[in-house]
Amino acid sequence: MFAGVRGVRIRRVSDAGGAGGGAIPLVEARMTVTIEGVTAAIHRGAAEARAAGAPDWLRERRLRAWEVYEETPLPTTSLEEWRYTDVSKLCLDDVALLEPGAGSGEIPAEARAILEGKAAAGRVLQVGARIASVEVDPTLAAKGVVVMDLAEAAVAHRELVEPYLATRAVPAEFGKFAALNGALWTAGVFVYVPRGVRIEEPIRVARWVGEPGVAIFPRTLIVADEGSHVAYVDEFASPDFGRPVLSCGAVEVFARTGAQVQYVALQRWGKGVRHVSAQRTIAERDADLDTLVVNLGGSVARVDLEARLEGPGARSDMLGLYFAREDQHFDHNTRQDHVVPHANSDLLYKGALYDRANTVFRGLIKVYPKAQRTDAYQTNRNLLLSPDAQAVSLPNLEIEANDVRCSHGATVGHLEDEELFYLMSRGLPRPVAERLVIFGFFGEVLERLPLPGVVEELRAAIEAQLR
Amino acid sequence: MSEPILKISNLHAVVAEDGTEILRGVDLGLKPGEIHAIMGPNGSGKSTLAKVLMGHPGYEATDGEVYFKGEDLLELEPDERSRQGLFLAFQYPVEIPGVSIANFLRTAVQSKNPDEELDIFEFQEKLLDRMQLLGMDPSFAERSVNDGFSGGEKKRNEILQLAMLEPDLAILDETDSGLDIDALKIVAEGVNRIREERPEMTVLLITHYQRLLNYIRPDVVHVMANGRIVRSGGPELALELEEKGYEEFREPAAAV
Repeated sequence: MFAGVRGVRIRRVSDAGGAGGGAIPLVEARMTVTIEGVTAAIHRGAAEARAAGAPDWLRERRLRAWEVYEETPLPTTSLEEWRYTDVSKLCLDDVALLEPGAGSGEIPAEARAILEGKAAAGRVLQVGARIASVEVDPTLAAKGVVVMDLAEAAVAHRELVEPYLATRAVPAEFGKFAALNGALWTAGVFVYVPRGVRIEEPIRVARWVGEPGVAIFPRTLIVADEGSHVAYVDEFASPDFGRPVLSCGAVEVFARTGAQVQYVALQRWGKGVRHVSAQRTIAERDADLDTLVVNLGGSVARVDLEARLEGPGARSDMLGLYFAREDQHFDHNTRQDHVVPHANSDLLYKGALYDRANTVFRGLIKVYPKAQRTDAYQTNRNLLLSPDAQAVSLPNLEIEANDVRCSHGATVGHLEDEELFYLMSRGLPRPVAERLVIFGFFGEVLERLPLPGVVEELRAAIEAQLR
Repeated sequence: MSEPILKISNLHAVVAEDGTEILRGVDLGLKPGEIHAIMGPNGSGKSTLAKVLMGHPGYEATDGEVYFKGEDLLELEPDERSRQGLFLAFQYPVEIPGVSIANFLRTAVQSKNPDEELDIFEFQEKLLDRMQLLGMDPSFAERSVNDGFSGGEKKRNEILQLAMLEPDLAILDETDSGLDIDALKIVAEGVNRIREERPEMTVLLITHYQRLLNYIRPDVVHVMANGRIVRSGGPELALELEEKGYEEFREPAAAV
């Protein structure tokens, strides 16, 4: 609980000791001041319990993440990046931790059904707070492909996990919720693709929660070694809930030299779920690292995605698709980080809104002084389907190099009378005409995703949302 | 004598936004299978007439009557007018990004018979057949509707839709505008082929220039000026207009 003491920041002992203030004992401060984000369920003891039993290096990382969590204030709407999303909407106070050991251990049929019949090189199913099953094509496993529970991989493949996990992609310093995940993650998925190995079908991961009032902390770490090729689809699903559920996730994707990686996050949680996800992708020389972020479900979704282009010739296509209705609130915060010359990033986020839904897109292209010959583009388009819906679009450029091609564009529009008249003049009743235009609106995003099976699923998911 | 398929009496229409009157008492009758041309200077109301007949929301009919196949056309929504057998080839076809021509046409054909599930194979066959008739490459159907099309491609797409929807009355609004002579010939030939198959289809051509009428021969030519039909005659009227221009039909400036 942090009611009544909002805005009071506690500092670490070492900091507090700086200028003669060290006389105030921390313990006493704790008794009078509540640490932001620490609740009946989310507290140091929980972090310590989850760190217990991990290898030393990992335990230290988890506990350090908890320190950062305590040090980091909860973001407020006075911060530009959180201006449109009040963290109280995430209902931190109202959720209990779901323990990995909870439940009967059986996999519910609804959870099992998510991946059934879908072409995949590997399948991972998260049920509640645990990884319930992992399958991987044995011929790929024989080539050294690893698809594994992240906690197990930290032991079994330490050399592949330790350099990447919560280091350069999503360290605790990424933000308050990245730190929380760093301390409390349980259902982690680790994927490693060795040098030169190409995986044809995607790796499919489904995350399922069946009970209300809980918090889960999913995590993904993908390492695609030199010249390898892998596509990964993270899918989030649940029934509708009357009470809040928090999914606080982190995603780290590394594409080494010349690797090709596609990462898709398909968020179609049921009502009541609060979805927070901190994601960073790192593309080395000549790597292609593409992402698609889809937000369809849940009550609140906040995604922070940074694409970092670290090698010349690296390329990131960043696609986004959101379709909000009723009182849904989706907030997308993206960053295209160009630190070296000759890299390319191209972002296209499109959203449609019904009812009283509101969405935010905030994007930054950041080109550092050394990143000459950068090509970076950013487009966000929104289609308002109701007079009460609201879409905020905030594209931004920060360019410190002088030989670059960059552009950004944003639109918030309605269905055009001319378009509807044209379609109606061909015999389409107005609702059919509207659906066709909306479908076409999203088509531009889908046709850029080179995963035909996933595109078909997305089409069906969009169709199900259409009125 | 057959009844007119389209009967317009004293039609007045205004721009919905500001009430500016564009049509000031149009009278016109078309009999089944006839080809009529409406010619006239820019701003005479030709294209507005086409839009009002199709039910464009930017215009409002304020007086007069329009009967199409015996039904009060002005009471119907644009999609109902289409399903009744009316078709408008747009002067400026609208781009629908992300929607393929095939998908669009399938939805349109399905809308004509909402109670019957469209047979996809029959539809595909018909689409290919129509494209062949119009000399189009099958890959054309996979492109997004009018998205990035040249002027000629947009007009051919309109004719393809005409061929697929098989209306009783086709209004071609300035289908010749913006086309070079080769593109114009291709489009006109398409219309003629459709007419050869379905001579009962009535056609209303709206054009500023006579040249389209060299390729699609009208039975009757009307001149429109200041929102009215001011003269009607045979095909020779078009030639006369080509020679003399529209000068005599322009109202003196004081009257505007």
